[in-house]
Amino acid sequence: MTAWIDGQAVERDAAVAAAASLLAGAHAPVIAGLCAEAAAVQAAFDLARAVGASLDPAAGAALYADLGALASGGAMTTTAAETRGRADLVLALGAAPWSSGLLAELAADAPGRGRAAGQPRALLALGGPGDGGIQHVSYPAGEAGLPAAIGLLRGLVAGRVAGPHPFADLAARLRAALYGVVMYDPAEIGALGAEMLNGLVKDLNEVTRCFALPLGDAHQGRAVAQVSAWSTGQGPRVGFGRGYPEHDPWRFDAARQAASGEIDAALWLASLPAPLPSWARTVPTVALLGAPKGDEARVVIGVGVPGEAFGAALWHPRRAALAWHAADPVPSGAPPAAAILADLRARISAASPAPQPERSASC
Amino acid sequence: MLTRIAGGRVVDPTTSRDAIGDVWIEDGRVVAPSERTPDRTIDAAGCIVMAGGVEVHSHIAGGNVVLARLLLPELGVSEPDAPNPHGSGRDVGMLYARMGYTTAVEPAMPPVNALATQLELAEIPLLDRGGLCVMGNDDQLLQLLRDRESKEAVRDLVALNVATSRALGVKVINAGGADAFKDGAVRFSLDDEVPAYGLTSRTILTGLLDAVEALKVPHPLHVHCSNLGLPGADDSLIETLAAAEGRRIHFAHAQFYAYAAVDKDNPLTGGFVSAAPRIAEALARHPNATLDIGQVVFGQTATISLDILRQFSGRKAASPRKWIVNAGDAEGGGIVPFRYRDRGPTSSLQFAIGLEMMLLSPDPERTILTTDHPNGGPFTAYPRILHLLMDKEARDREVAAHPKVAAERSGLAAIEREYTLTEVAQLTRSGPAKLLGLTDRGHLRPGARADIAVYRDQPDRTAMFARAHRVLKDGAVIVEDGEVVSWTRGHTLSLSVEADAGMARRTDAYLQGRFGAGLSSFTVPDAAFPDREVFEAVSCRT
Repeated sequence: MTAWIDGQAVERDAAVAAAASLLAGAHAPVIAGLCAEAAAVQAAFDLARAVGASLDPAAGAALYADLGALASGGAMTTTAAETRGRADLVLALGAAPWSSGLLAELAADAPGRGRAAGQPRALLALGGPGDGGIQHVSYPAGEAGLPAAIGLLRGLVAGRVAGPHPFADLAARLRAALYGVVMYDPAEIGALGAEMLNGLVKDLNEVTRCFALPLGDAHQGRAVAQVSAWSTGQGPRVGFGRGYPEHDPWRFDAARQAASGEIDAALWLASLPAPLPSWARTVPTVALLGAPKGDEARVVIGVGVPGEAFGAALWHPRRAALAWHAADPVPSGAPPAAAILADLRARISAASPAPQPERSASC
Repeated sequence: MLTRIAGGRVVDPTTSRDAIGDVWIEDGRVVAPSERTPDRTIDAAGCIVMAGGVEVHSHIAGGNVVLARLLLPELGVSEPDAPNPHGSGRDVGMLYARMGYTTAVEPAMPPVNALATQLELAEIPLLDRGGLCVMGNDDQLLQLLRDRESKEAVRDLVALNVATSRALGVKVINAGGADAFKDGAVRFSLDDEVPAYGLTSRTILTGLLDAVEALKVPHPLHVHCSNLGLPGADDSLIETLAAAEGRRIHFAHAQFYAYAAVDKDNPLTGGFVSAAPRIAEALARHPNATLDIGQVVFGQTATISLDILRQFSGRKAASPRKWIVNAGDAEGGGIVPFRYRDRGPTSSLQFAIGLEMMLLSPDPERTILTTDHPNGGPFTAYPRILHLLMDKEARDREVAAHPKVAAERSGLAAIEREYTLTEVAQLTRSGPAKLLGLTDRGHLRPGARADIAVYRDQPDRTAMFARAHRVLKDGAVIVEDGEVVSWTRGHTLSLSVEADAGMARRTDAYLQGRFGAGLSSFTVPDAAFPDREVFEAVSCRT
């Protein structure tokens, strides 16, 4: 079986009917998780528009640190492939880059394109655990923490910090590099850290080339940001409660809404693995899961795993783009989440007309 | 169903038609006048009837359009009853459709981001869409050229990229410029070398011009020249035109190159004057060339370009003071917010130059109206621009409201020409359709796709073009009195081009080595759009 209501196995159609009824009767539903293929995320946005739901991706915190910094000051970025091809200096910020797998690859070769071709590649670490197997120069972040260390480094690079400093050598190396890259995880350094880093990188480009390389989140957040942008004109989080999209990262935080009792139904979409939020057991929830057990929520519907059960557009971290992932040679027959979501939308739209946009009062 | 659009003033420059009459349509196509009784009659008395508008250059999808929205959440905001040209794809489709446009092309689709761009294009309702595949800074192409591989190899790589990204044509953006930027350059011209490859921009451009001709791509190579927006940029455009050596070439947003340096010896310090006459004269002498304008209008916008060298150079003019340069694979992209001040001398002069270019045009079919949305401003400015082209008095009033420099440094004030409706249709319909090689649109001859705009004929041309009385897409009414009445989804036009199997194998190995992902990762299969038929094939020239 691939569908459950209150933990009891049922026919899929019965579960879809129950899900439609649950969502159609809700005053303030939320569609969360969105850890899924692009077609399913798109279908979730379409459904949200139809039922007046808000949307909140599982990638929330990591995504927001980057989006917040981006909207504050912009950025200068590059990709993993360009880093491999061109970088003569890579600075790993914090712990996350050391578990990305990319650093080991970068340590194993040297730039082959551009003006740094033929030079060795220096690996530097700021505030990270390091890795005995990878040759690098390590700088401790200091007691004030990583974001403060990035700020100090920016001051040094721009010549705004007088006197000797333990980071002076690091600042000099960044200025001397031909193509520097700073790897970071936005979830680790936070929005302020990311903003400071973007400033550091921009300052460096007054004298050389240096770019930030954000490590993606594990939950399709960057794909969701794209679908959100073209579906609503804005990044996540967004809500359709008034009939038109409103962007408000604080207001449409599903966990906050659940805690404060603002939502009365939810749909959790995770055709790929994502940690189930605790509110899924308290708020009446429909869960579309690639790996269901059956008791995760009031209504659980098993869906195909994208890139296995069927071909799908998924975020490709190494390419930093949506990329086609072909199906397994012998795909399972599990239905795509997009089809279930479209079915839900059709059932709900047939039962009640679409909400009309709220109009401002005129006098 | 046989439909008669009755009694309107029918304007079709391709048949020199401008007279009261009928247009007959059946099964989504224009048909010859029929003796049969129509199943439906659309009264067009007092109206102008034209083919649906065709957009050749508007940034409506892709990674940079997404990034612009994320950089400027305030610009893309939605409000009830106020669709936003910087907002969602749904708003974009709605705003084009109600102006009577039925086809729009996104000119900057990098092959590395084709899937996301195509997914986004497919979410623009009401219109047929297309994307141009960008080449000219990608390492694989530059390696082929550096290694002096055959023209056939370059042709095959271009064909493979067009086929894989499901593009409608090919664009080059400051050939080699992004690559040079990554190596520290801040200026780059046609005969400068891309340092790491020892190739000039001219060599890359020539390679792509040849490939597009060899493949018989209907749309000529779509060229964004070097030195955009700088005094003396007219030299770049004229040199690039000469470099085409008679091959077909399209110049994107040419207004941004129509800036002659006041002080030729110190071009960057003395400001600029209009080079519109020089470019119009060059166009008259070169029937192989076309251009779109990139008209500047006033207000807040975001400039979006894959010319990262230029965007980096322009960063200090960012308003508000935040910007993005993504030095990604191949071009990457750059977003610099900008406010064209309506009483600012530079913006006003740019505004005047764009109008001057259209008014000096030797052939409106080859000087297509665009604002390079959103770079010169939003596409929703078209109705006002058409009004100014058609009405000398309105133009004089407009120019009088701007700083004197706009009149002193351009020839706009002295131009008496007023565009006719036929010329408007050339500028916005027949010209762009011919340019894209879409023989089934841009006209009202039997066999044409029944994409039709019906406007109420009124002296206020801005009002007339802003909200069409009726718009038909494939024969179905989608807009009535400026409001969308049927949310059809249109198709994405993609060129039917055969990719060479040998080049596909070679490219697969290259991509695996570079990205750890092979050619299949870069494809845009039908399965990416479940339960929808998104693509419509366009044939190459015979």
